[in-house]
Parts: sequence; structure tokens; C-alpha cells
Amino acid sequence: MMEASVLRPAARRSALLRAAPTLGIGAALVALALTLSNDFYLYVAFMAGVYYICASGMNVLAGYAGQKSLGQAGLFAAGAYTVALLTTRLELPPALALAAAPLVAAAVGVLIALPSLRVKGPSLALVTLAFGLVVEKLVTEWTDLFGGAQGIYGIAPLALGDEPFALKHWVVLVIVLGVAVHLALSHLLNGRFGRALLALQSDEIAAECAGISVYRYKTLAFVLAAALCGLGGALVAQQNQYFNSDFVTFHLSVFILLLVLLGGAGNIYGPIAGAAILTMTEVFLAQWPSVQHFIYGAMLLFALYLMPTGVAGAIARVLPRRMAVLDGMETPPLTAMERGRAEPSAGPLLEVADVSKAFGGVVTADKVGLRLHAHRIHALIGPNGAGKSTLINILTGVITADSGTIRLAGQDITRGAPHARAASGIARTFQNLRLFGSMTVLDNVLIGAHARISVTGREEDAVAKAKAVLDFVGLGEHAGALAGSLPYGLQRRVELARALAGDPVLLLLDEPAAGLNPRETAELGQLIKRIGQLGIAVLMVEHDMGLVMRISDEIVVLDRGVVIAEGGPRDIQTNPRVIEAYLGREDSPAPDGPEVDKEERAC
Amino acid sequence: MLQAIIGGLTLGSVYALIALGFNLTYTTTRTLNFAQGDFVSVGAFVGLGTVGVLTAALGADAVGYVWLYALAAVAAALAMGVLGLPLYLAAIRPFAGKPGMSWVVSTIGFGIVLQSAALSVWGLGARMLPAPFGDEVFRVGEAGFRSQELVVLVLAFAILGAFDLAMRRTAIGRCMRAVALNRDAAALMGIDVPRVMAMAFLASSALAGLSGVLVAPILSASLFMGVIIALKGFSAAIIGGLTNPRGCMAGGLLIGLVESLTALWSAQWREIMVFLLVILVLAMAPNGLFGRKLVEKV
Amino acid sequence: MKNTTSTGTASNNTAPARPRLTALLGAAAAVLMTASLQAQAADPIKIAYNGDISGSPSAESGQIGVLGIGAAVEDINKRGGVLGRPLEFLVRDDLGQPPKAIQNMTDLIDREKVSVVFGPTNSGNALAWKHIANQKRMPVLVSSASSTAITEGPSSGNYLFRVSMVDREQASALLAYVKKNPEAKAVGFFVETTGYGQAGLKDLEQIAALHDMKPVSIEKFDARDTDMTSQLSKAKAAGADTLVVWAQAAPLGHLVRSMEKLDYFPKVFTTWAASFSGFPEVAGPKLMEWPVFLTTSSERKSAEAESLFARIGPKLANPSMFWAASQAYDTVLLWAAAAEQAGDTKGEAVRAALESLNKPVAGMVKTYDKPFSATQHEGLTAADYHWSRWKDGKVVDFNDPVLAGLQPADFKK
Repeated sequence: MMEASVLRPAARRSALLRAAPTLGIGAALVALALTLSNDFYLYVAFMAGVYYICASGMNVLAGYAGQKSLGQAGLFAAGAYTVALLTTRLELPPALALAAAPLVAAAVGVLIALPSLRVKGPSLALVTLAFGLVVEKLVTEWTDLFGGAQGIYGIAPLALGDEPFALKHWVVLVIVLGVAVHLALSHLLNGRFGRALLALQSDEIAAECAGISVYRYKTLAFVLAAALCGLGGALVAQQNQYFNSDFVTFHLSVFILLLVLLGGAGNIYGPIAGAAILTMTEVFLAQWPSVQHFIYGAMLLFALYLMPTGVAGAIARVLPRRMAVLDGMETPPLTAMERGRAEPSAGPLLEVADVSKAFGGVVTADKVGLRLHAHRIHALIGPNGAGKSTLINILTGVITADSGTIRLAGQDITRGAPHARAASGIARTFQNLRLFGSMTVLDNVLIGAHARISVTGREEDAVAKAKAVLDFVGLGEHAGALAGSLPYGLQRRVELARALAGDPVLLLLDEPAAGLNPRETAELGQLIKRIGQLGIAVLMVEHDMGLVMRISDEIVVLDRGVVIAEGGPRDIQTNPRVIEAYLGREDSPAPDGPEVDKEERAC
Repeated sequence: MLQAIIGGLTLGSVYALIALGFNLTYTTTRTLNFAQGDFVSVGAFVGLGTVGVLTAALGADAVGYVWLYALAAVAAALAMGVLGLPLYLAAIRPFAGKPGMSWVVSTIGFGIVLQSAALSVWGLGARMLPAPFGDEVFRVGEAGFRSQELVVLVLAFAILGAFDLAMRRTAIGRCMRAVALNRDAAALMGIDVPRVMAMAFLASSALAGLSGVLVAPILSASLFMGVIIALKGFSAAIIGGLTNPRGCMAGGLLIGLVESLTALWSAQWREIMVFLLVILVLAMAPNGLFGRKLVEKV
Repeated sequence: MKNTTSTGTASNNTAPARPRLTALLGAAAAVLMTASLQAQAADPIKIAYNGDISGSPSAESGQIGVLGIGAAVEDINKRGGVLGRPLEFLVRDDLGQPPKAIQNMTDLIDREKVSVVFGPTNSGNALAWKHIANQKRMPVLVSSASSTAITEGPSSGNYLFRVSMVDREQASALLAYVKKNPEAKAVGFFVETTGYGQAGLKDLEQIAALHDMKPVSIEKFDARDTDMTSQLSKAKAAGADTLVVWAQAAPLGHLVRSMEKLDYFPKVFTTWAASFSGFPEVAGPKLMEWPVFLTTSSERKSAEAESLFARIGPKLANPSMFWAASQAYDTVLLWAAAAEQAGDTKGEAVRAALESLNKPVAGMVKTYDKPFSATQHEGLTAADYHWSRWKDGKVVDFNDPVLAGLQPADFKK
């Protein structure tokens, strides 16, 4: 039993209040740095700060978006060579060059994001790694421009008046930048943006269908990581006033990933822990050259075994969890909520005409026509392999139709990406649950509302809305639970809530009653009816004929990609073609034939 | 030209061996050994050490050098294979089958320890492992070859073929393929999944060690030589299709050829070309050239 | 696939010998212990080595350098230290990585407060931190990195001194020979793409211009390359009969192996890198005798050198690497002499004393008589170089009529 609705502590505090502790710690660090007179400790602090800046961007990419990149050295180089070339060749002011570095790195980040969007896991690691190596070779070989291993001298550092920055000033600068980066990232990641990244890391298709443009968010994560890594490189090059190709190594890429994994991937404090601990360890071990590699290696070997969620994760586990209870929040009932869209004018909400789709030789949709109406509950039935799931996938854009048109409220959406369709009001559930299991129920619902939450909107409003949806489906008390920890029946309902949170005009349910017991099925039926009463058009694929006949206003029967019947429950029950399709005819193969398999696998 | 093709195929077949190792561990455990390069270099030095010890014990001419070399190759494969077990136990088993890439960190850690240990035994320098059939240059028209290139080609292809056969015909091979296809189902059918995973690491590490001994007479052995060989083996595995062993082999040969043919034009841009090609191939075919397209059921 | 790609690192030396790392550190530890025993008597002076001793093949000359410095510290402490204070020797490993090298440098200067730094192994790292040494007035004595730019310092005070071969001087000598040799009609430059090779190529091109010499081919290869047949084919097609090569030992070995594959044997002139043990190891007994190169002290001429060799030799994989130890040994002697002369270990005083040493210092490589001045920071010059080649597994002097006919005017730089 979960306690009443809980929420991140930060949500209700004002932004300033939220930033106060970080600013305080930043100020304390600056004060501490100003008392340090030993350049060695200052240099270590500077490098720790630079590594933090690199790692914090990497955490967005690897920790939140789940894109484990092994090419960050290339982006570090992009930033470093930007300041090096701008200040030496073009003699631009150092501050301008420093500002340009993250921009150039971000542009390079787009370059590396493009080939990375479609690849996953080890292939992604290789694409990024190859990028890092190409940059490393490029700056080594193209000596006319980059100076190779001879390097570039005379990189102009920032200056106070006429005095170039002393090490102390650099340390203060990285602390200020670090605090700013931390505040900006906490704001970004503890909200819509962070949720979207975590969602796409967990399940790209579900995220896309919830209205998150997976490619755009991945690219954004690459760009953020690139810009911050470039900033790190620029700081190192300017502070040292010299840079050469020896700085850019595969080792650096691995090190930046290590900072994140060891510190705690996907934890906002992970990069801080990683940068502090790895920098300190290296400094400490440097005094014993003979054993440093053994100890460092052993540390990497066992660290994540002992602390699976990284250092920050391990610390978080021993600290008491602070979570504010969301008692007093007003949650208006869902019916009263302002609906984001105008009621569609008369006529069908969704019009499908002549949609066909074939996988190899297997036709799973053959000139399908369909009209769905607001306020009505439609059922799509048919034997296994009839092409029902394929049709849902075509409607949501997960599969693109070979031909035909789909219009939503008069607008042609045939070529729209799933996230765009979700944004225009098509929501869905999945035949096999696709929840974001390691996120809370509330976060799942908030992700469903992704397209509805404006970028500038207040998190509090989004939460209130999500809460209303949860109350509507009867999950209010489970808001704070991890979605994956709930019993199966409730998980099904979480998925429904997630679909509803997007404030859809059309809801597609793919076998919503699968695996439910009779009581749960009955409750589901009631719920679907109430959804219809909200004015939403519902299309459900379902095998439970009792449920279908009980709640449907209209039934469409599909067999081997062809619509064979349409009508109310009574008409369908007596339609001879339907009976034939379900029971089979003596001279035709059973509908559960081998082609079923192919179709199922294809979608 | 002929010379470049032979040279490319020779190194390519070594990349293919490493790629096959990556294929074995990835299909069974969904993990890769990021210390594979260290296994290659240390394997070469185990081979060198074996030759040294045997020569000292038996006298220089007790048995033909060909036999010494063969023993060295077996010793390297065995030693690295056995080392694959602690690698699996310490660096892989805690993380196998779990999301995240913690195994990247742990295998890198294992590699650092392994390399440091090897450095304190063998030092930093480059060493030459004599080739079993001498170091003379054969001439075919303009092109010159050394016997070791042919040895590597023949042996590597033999091993690749044997593996291909073993995966299809032997019990352990079938177990590995079963675990690769569906770990849970394999476990239900009574296959000892952790044992199969350990075997995969044993085989993969043995292949790395053997590759080390094979290339040492051509490249000269150094404890730093493995990194780039393993990176190219990794590239081969991915662009060939990590889940397809034959694809991995083809990927290795392809990388080797691209590398040596680019060198004909401009040697210094060789690696840039190889890795640009890798990026390009994966941008077009995210699952590699011969990888099965994994279609998710929605 | 791990943390050390050595692509860009290397610079000057490669290769090899095999002093066991443990033995090496054992020696260092012994030195530390001796030092700490004597420290009770007087406050010790800390001196340090900052260079690559494990990160890449070139770390080998770093390891041997540490042995040489350790031996010098031992000897100096035995005779009572410097200014009556014993020396304490610290070692920092930069792994061939500039950020690490910079960090070590500030560690040694600001935390350990050493009086002098020796090293590094790689020229690239020296270039990355030389401004720190100059700003912090920390004397640095370089014993193996050979890039010409290392000892180019600001007019406000240059704290970097070197007792080693210099790229510029080697290029000058090699091209003087090539110019004088009537058989050398078409010369090709072969360089590796590391900082070492790139710097060498720059020096070669500039000096060739002084001689009005145009190379018929300029080819590059990676330090990890093992097959240079394509580059050699191009040089062959261009008709090159003489090659000047700037590369580390192992790739140099592979270069001559590739020459054998093509059956193309132009004359090869190269740097001291050929004396590193990796070259004969890779090239094999026959091919290793082909190139002609420059060294400083591969043959031991004094009794002191013999005794040092007796101590260190067993730890070397190949006696040809002994120069690395003796040059490192000499850097300590020179610094000690300067500190004694200045009566102080402060950076400015030591620098001034180094630039005006008033007593000759008898070192392993040679006797240094006023080796440095305000404008001259090279302890060894072309006059100290020996023309050498491998013969029967040993580095021996090379001599021919062309060499005998070289006049000082032939050396342009």
C-alpha cells in the first residue's frame, strides 16, 4: 500500500528557494578557492570543475537519454580548437572565443547525432567512438590547420583588464559556470525535458506514441552534451594557453563516460560525485606510480558491483528520502477540465480510406476504410492475424501505410510521425504493456501529457492535471509508486491513464482486457464507457466478445486485412461472413495459418 | 595492388577472429569485453614467453621451431581462455542481463589491471616473435610476401570455419546458439546458462590470445598493440552485424581490405577512411551489413 | 579497447629495452630510503622526474632515465649531497598525456616544492607545460625529448635546459651528409605522424631549403603502422635513392622490413631512434644493419661510464639504450654543480649558474665545459654526435670518405 500522492520535494517551492542551497554551496566553494594559495590545489579544483562540466552534459546524454557515447573527446577537441584558432588566427577577443566554443561544439554535436539516431547499444558506442577517432586523427594529421602534436601556442586567455586570468580566477570561473550548469540542468531535467529523455531511454516506441519526438530529443541531448564538453575543452585550452593533438585521445572519451557511470548515471548529482572522486583518486594515486594502475583498474572493476547506481546513487540510498505529500492540492475532476481542442464539427472524427499495407507478400491491410466518431466506442475485432494490431499501428504512425489516406478532423495525417499524431490527439495503449517501469505512476502519466505541457508552463499545473487523470481511472493513491512494481491489472490501467493524460480526441486500445480477471474486465468496461462520455472517440481491439458486445456502439470486423463487416453489436453477431471468418469454412485454411505468424512478427 | 589485397586480407582475417569473439559474448550475454585489446597483446607475450621458456629448457634445436610456435599459439589461447573466466566472474556476471552498461567500466578496469601486470613482467618494448616458416620474402611479380601472412590467412580461415561448424554441429555450440536466441527459453530447457556464458568468454578470450600470437610475427608484439586491433575487430563485428557470426567474419575482411586499399592512395588518411566508412555504414544500415533486422512487436 | 591509445603521444623516443618496472621502482624506492635516512641529518632537497614511464612504448627511455637519475642521486648522496643536504628523488608518471603531465608539474612545483624537474619522455608534453616551468621559475633539465622547440624560451628567462640530441642538429648533420654525397641524387623524407615526426619534418624542410635541396617525395606513416610498402612504392616511383627518416624505433624497423618486401633499398639516414632496442628487435639481424644514424654515447669511453653501466646495464634490454641513462645521469650532475656554484637551490639562482658554469663538469657523455649560456641551452651539440650503425648486434661508429670530407660550412641550420 503506497502512501498518499507524493511528489518531488522541489515541485512546490519557488525557483529561487530551490536554487538557494546550490548557490550557497557555490558561494562557499568560491570563498574556499579564494583562500587557497597553492596552485596545485587550484589546478586540481580547476580540472575537477572542467570534468564536472563535461560530465554533466554527458549525464544528459548517457544517463537520461541512455545514449552511451564514446566520442566525447572529439567534442572536447571541437571546443578547444575553436578558442585556439579564433584567438590565434583571427585574433578574436578571448571571451568571444570562449562563448563561441560551445556553439561550434554543439554544431559538431548535431553532426554526430545524425548517424547516431537510429543505432543503439554497441552500434551507438561504435559510431561515437569512430567519430572520436576521426577527430583525433584529423587534428593530428591536418597539421596546417590544427598544428598536430606540435600544437598551437599563444591561445589568448580571459583577462581582468590587462592582467590575464590567474589560476584562482579560472577556478572561480569554473565554479560559477558549474553552478550555473547545475541549476540549469536541474531545472531542465526535473521536468518535462528530463522525463522525456528518461522515457525514450526506457522505451522509444512508447515515448514516441506519448507525443515525444524521439529523434528531436536525442539530438537535443547530443547537442547539450556536445556544447558542455566543448566548453570544457575551451576552458582547458585557454587556461593552459597551449593545446595539441595529444590532448585528444580515446582515453579522454572513456574517462568522460566513466565520470558519469561511476558517479551515477541519470542522477543529477552523479557527475559531481564522479568528477570529484575520479580527480581526487588520480591525484592521490599519482604519488605511487608503481601501483597506481593496479589500484585504479581494481577500483573500476569493482566499483559498480559495490555501488550499482554509482556513488551518488549509493549516497542517496543511505540518506533519508525526502518526499512531500501532495495533500492539499486541488484536483479538479477531469470532466471539468478545460479541453484543449474545439469539438470537431459534425461528421466523422477520423476517416480512413483505402489504406493498404503489405509485409513482403503478406497483405495485412487491404483497402481498409474506417470512420470513427467522437463520443462513440468502436470495437475492432477479427480472428488472429486479421491485421488489427497493424491497423492500430498504421493509425498511430508506428507503421506507415503503403497507400491510402488517414484524416483526423479533416486534416490529412497519413505521413505524420507518431509523436505528431499523438500531439494532434491520437493516444494509444499497447497489446504488450509498454510502461516506463522504473518511473513513478505519476511520471508515466506526465509523460503521456508531454505534448500538452507547454515548455514554459508550470510543473505544478501539469501535476494537478495528471493527478486528475489518475483519480479518474482510480489510481490516485498509487501516484508515487514505481509503475513496474504494481500488479498487472493496475499496470494496464496506468497505461490507460498515460494515454488519457494527453487529452486525446481519439483513444486506441489494443486488447485492453488481455490478462485481466472478470472483475477487472467489468471495471474496465465501465471506465471505457466513461471515457466515451468525455467525448473521446474510442477504438478498441479486443478478443473478449462479452466486453465488446456490452460496451461498443459500433463494431468493425477485419479478416486478413479486409473489412468484412461493420455495424452495431446485434448486426455483427448474426452476420454470416463474420461467423465464417471466426469458425472457418471447409474449403479455406484456418485463419490461424502460418501467415499469421509472419504478420505478427512484422508488427 | 596484389600485395595490398593480401596484406588487407591477412589483417582482416585477424580482425574477423576478434569480431567473432565479440559476437560470441554479445549474443550470449549482451556484453562486450572492452579489454579485448589487452587480451590480444598479452596473448602475444604469453606466446613469446612460451617460446623463450621452451627454448631455454629444451635447447634451441630440440624440436623444430614450427612446433615451438604451434605450442606457443596453443599456450596463448589456453592462458587467455582461462583468464576469460575471472573476467567473466568479476566483470561480467554481476551485470549480465541487466540494463545499463556497467560492464564497460568493469571490463576496462580488468584490462588496466591485466595490462599493468603484463607491463611489470615484460616491460614496454616492442618484441619480435619469429615466424614459424622463416622471415624470407617471396616474390610474385612486383609483389612481395612473407610466409607468415599466408600462415595467418590459412589458420584464421581454418579457425573461422571450424567455429562456424562447431556452432552448428556440437552440443556446446547449439547451447550457445540457444542461449543467444532466447536466454529464458534456453534456461527452461535445462541449459546451464551461466556456464554457457562463461564458455563464451573463454572462447572469445582464447580467440583474442591466439590472434595475438598470429599477428606478432607481422606486427611485432608490444603491450600497446592490442587497442587498435581490438577497435578494428569491434568495428568489424558491428558493421558485419554483431548478431551474425558470418557477418562478423565478413566485416573483418572488409575492414582489412578498405584499410590496405586506402593506404595505396594515402596511408595517413587510412584510419580516417576506415572509421568514416563505419559511421556511414551504420547510418545507412543500423544493424550492420549482414545483421538481422530486429523488429519489435508493437 | 582501453584507455591508452598512443596515437598522438609519442614524440621522441620509442622504444625499448625492458627494464622491469618492478626493478626500476625498487631502485627508486631504495634511493628514497637512502635519502630518507640521511634526511634526518639535514633537510633533504627534493628533485623529481616527470615523464611517461608506462603509457606508451616511448616510456622505455623514461624508465631508463629514472634509473640514471636514481644512480646519480645515489652517488651524490654518497659524497654528501648538494650544499650539504641529501637529495630526495620523486617520480611522477604522465602516461604520455598532456593534462596529466601538467597536473604532475603543478603537483611537483606547488605541493612537493621540488627544486628541479627532470624529464619528460615525450616532446609534446614538454611543450604543454614548458610555460609553467618558465612562469614558476623552475629549472627543468631535459634528458631525452628532442624537439627543437623545447628549449626555445621567453626572453624574460628560459628555465629549460637539455642534455640530449636535438632534432635541428640531427637534421642539419644528416642533410649535410646527403648534400655532400655525390651518389645521393634524389632524396625522400619519411616521417611518422607523431609530434616527433612532424617536428622533424619541419626541421628537415627548413634545412633542405637552406641547401637548395628539393625532396622528390615526402611520405608519412603512423607510429603504429607495420606496412609502409605503399609509401615506399611512391618514393621508388619518384626515383628516391636516399631516404631521411624521422620515426620511432618500431616503425623504423617496419619500414626496413617493408623495403625488403619491395626489394627497394635506398640509403637510409635516420635519428638516434635507431639505437633504441625496438629497432633491431623488429628489423631483425640482417636488416638492422642498413640505416646510418646519429647517437651520443653508445660506446662507453670513461671508467665512470663503465661503472655506471655495471650498475644499470643488467636492467637494460639492450645496451644500446645506455645513452638514456647516461644523459639523465649527467643532467643531475649539471644541476648539482649549478646549485653548488650558486650556493642556493632557488630557480633564478640555479638558472643563472647553469648559464655560467665556471667549472667543467665531468659527466658520462662528455666533460661539460661551459655547456650553457643565456642563449644556448643545449648541453650537447652536433660535435658530440657520433655517426653510427648496427653491426653484429652492437652500435658501432660509421665512417666513410663523404663523412671524412664534411666541413663545418656544410652544416647549415
